[in-house]
Amino acid sequence: MSWTEIQTLGVKAASGAGVPPAQALAFGAMLARHVADDGPQGAVEAVLSEPERIVALAHRVETIVEAASVNNKPVSATEKDAGTRSMLVSWLTALPCKSELEIAGSKVRVSLSLSEPSARGRPERLYLNPSLSEQLNILAAKTYVPDSDASRAGGAGAGLMELD
Amino acid sequence: MPTRLSFLRVLVRRLCAEHATIRRIHWKMSADGHGQAAYAVDLGGHTYSLVAISNDLPADQRSDRVIATAWDAAFVLFDGIATPTDIARIAEQAPKQEAGRFSPRDLVLSRANKSVRMWEATVAALRTGQQPESGMIRDIGYLMRTTAVYGNGKFGIADRTLIADRPGLEGPFAAEMLTVYLIRHFTLDLVQHVGGGTLDPDLARHIGIGNATGLGMAPFLVNHPVLLNNWIQARETALARVLARETMTKAQALRIKTLAQRAQKHLADWHVPAEDHDNVLRRLEEDWAIFLMHFDALPGHRPFAALWEAARDEMASLQELLAALLIEVCPEDVDDLVDGMGDRFGPLIVPFADTDVLRAAIKADWAWALAHDYEDTEQCRRFWYVSEAKLEPRLGDRFAEPGAELETPLDIARRVARLHADLPDRAQPVSEFTAHHPDHAHAINRVALLSRYPYAEIRDNLIAATCRPIDMLRCKLSFFGATKFDPKSDLWTRITLAQGAPLGDELRPEMDDWWLPAMER
Repeated sequence: MSWTEIQTLGVKAASGAGVPPAQALAFGAMLARHVADDGPQGAVEAVLSEPERIVALAHRVETIVEAASVNNKPVSATEKDAGTRSMLVSWLTALPCKSELEIAGSKVRVSLSLSEPSARGRPERLYLNPSLSEQLNILAAKTYVPDSDASRAGGAGAGLMELD
Repeated sequence: MPTRLSFLRVLVRRLCAEHATIRRIHWKMSADGHGQAAYAVDLGGHTYSLVAISNDLPADQRSDRVIATAWDAAFVLFDGIATPTDIARIAEQAPKQEAGRFSPRDLVLSRANKSVRMWEATVAALRTGQQPESGMIRDIGYLMRTTAVYGNGKFGIADRTLIADRPGLEGPFAAEMLTVYLIRHFTLDLVQHVGGGTLDPDLARHIGIGNATGLGMAPFLVNHPVLLNNWIQARETALARVLARETMTKAQALRIKTLAQRAQKHLADWHVPAEDHDNVLRRLEEDWAIFLMHFDALPGHRPFAALWEAARDEMASLQELLAALLIEVCPEDVDDLVDGMGDRFGPLIVPFADTDVLRAAIKADWAWALAHDYEDTEQCRRFWYVSEAKLEPRLGDRFAEPGAELETPLDIARRVARLHADLPDRAQPVSEFTAHHPDHAHAINRVALLSRYPYAEIRDNLIAATCRPIDMLRCKLSFFGATKFDPKSDLWTRITLAQGAPLGDELRPEMDDWWLPAMER
């Protein structure tokens, strides 16, 4: 899959799981980075089953970015759960700004340059585990409104047939 | 109105500067025009191929909607010279469009339907050794219209980041514009093949490529605030630079008069069936005819600013036309701005120091959003959503239709108003506030973005009963370089691209003069 496909699928899946828009957008970016960097995909499956953990993770990143912007110094965080820590790392490295991370055991030390863009590259192709892919697609489908005659006829533009 | 900053203009300018030539590298087409074709073109040191698959489409399947499942033609812009193996793979996948799977060497995916009237009349004329009637070309303007042009990773094609550094493709939608230009070339090639005759180049040049656009463009603008900012900022900067000129050269004075008169002819050529939109066009045509006198009485000091001042009380569409004209006449002030119209990295959001600073930012930039009462049913009647039917973007009435609980978060104004109402009286860190109000994080990000990118928001209530998506579509399409807007409702429009653009064997710098083209009479 392309990076954009996985990012977009992640946003929709998080939304379908009940995550608010800002956190869902950030989750999508995290997911693509996580998959690109060979992060454990099982950790993503677990967190999608508990969307409040996605909101908590997003908030944790927000506090780190906030602290970095106030002090302009490296910020440290401790996360004992390896899966959650891997997603925290992916979330931070997915930020559009430049970031440098040092990871030692459960500790993550991050330096952010908020006005400098990230220079991290993106691979041509990303590969999702079938079980995560299925879970993402099921959740994403929850964001789509069922089709109906009224919706089909009046909800969008052109007629159903054009013979100009 | 399109300007010389519009993406198709930028692409064609580049092709002309490089003296590019389009080469037909594959042609396996039946006498009635069904089969495969491929074209190659060099741009910025890379070669790209357009692979075209032309099908025999039953008339009852011809639809401009996203929910269509078959088209007259399908296209892929391929990275490199497409081999027979590549063409065979694309021929298998491209007609499936959204249901197909594509590779990182496939850069853009598109499809198009014929304008049956124009197609049949052109073929009939060529078959009898005649040329098609110029009035028909003027009124319709294209042989086929695209109904989707997908880029940036959709359905497995290449992510934009993979090609964004390539010369000629750095700008927004450059690969999509190259595709559209090559599709236009293909349609001209195909109609001459089926008709068995050669089009007069002056007529052929006036045949562009159509496009039918629906609601999908509106969410794009809301979801790409930095891009929107960069487009508008480039245009505003271009205009400001031109207006700041102290004098006008003789060459510029001659050029501006020539183009102003060409614009008058273009308006005379531009008629649409929708009465309300045609009324606007007819008034613009009348007002512009009167306004032309200002080009004969230009002052020596700051003549560009004097023209702008003369239009102060004119209708907005005349001001837009004048702005596009002024920008057109001064390429040396304008063309470098193209470099800043992309967004390579995404929004760089700097957090607010605390909730008081956030509140001050809302007061400074969001008065337009706070002005509405979102409890009023007319201020929140609409909701944007994605249908399960091929994920078509749609707009609904939240008080009459199901699905509002799944609405796409384009209600930015309402969200910021709700955020403002919930802010605490005493300052606290924003992260402390969002710990209790995670739903407000989206609005906070938008406020932070607008503080940094002044043109990042569409300053309107997009869920009001009075919201007209067509205005958003026109804004985006004008940046593509669209002309001859032909709105069919508030929800969709047809347009023409590349009308007047140099043909595939005419890509030379002196041919890049096709702003608001007019059919010669």
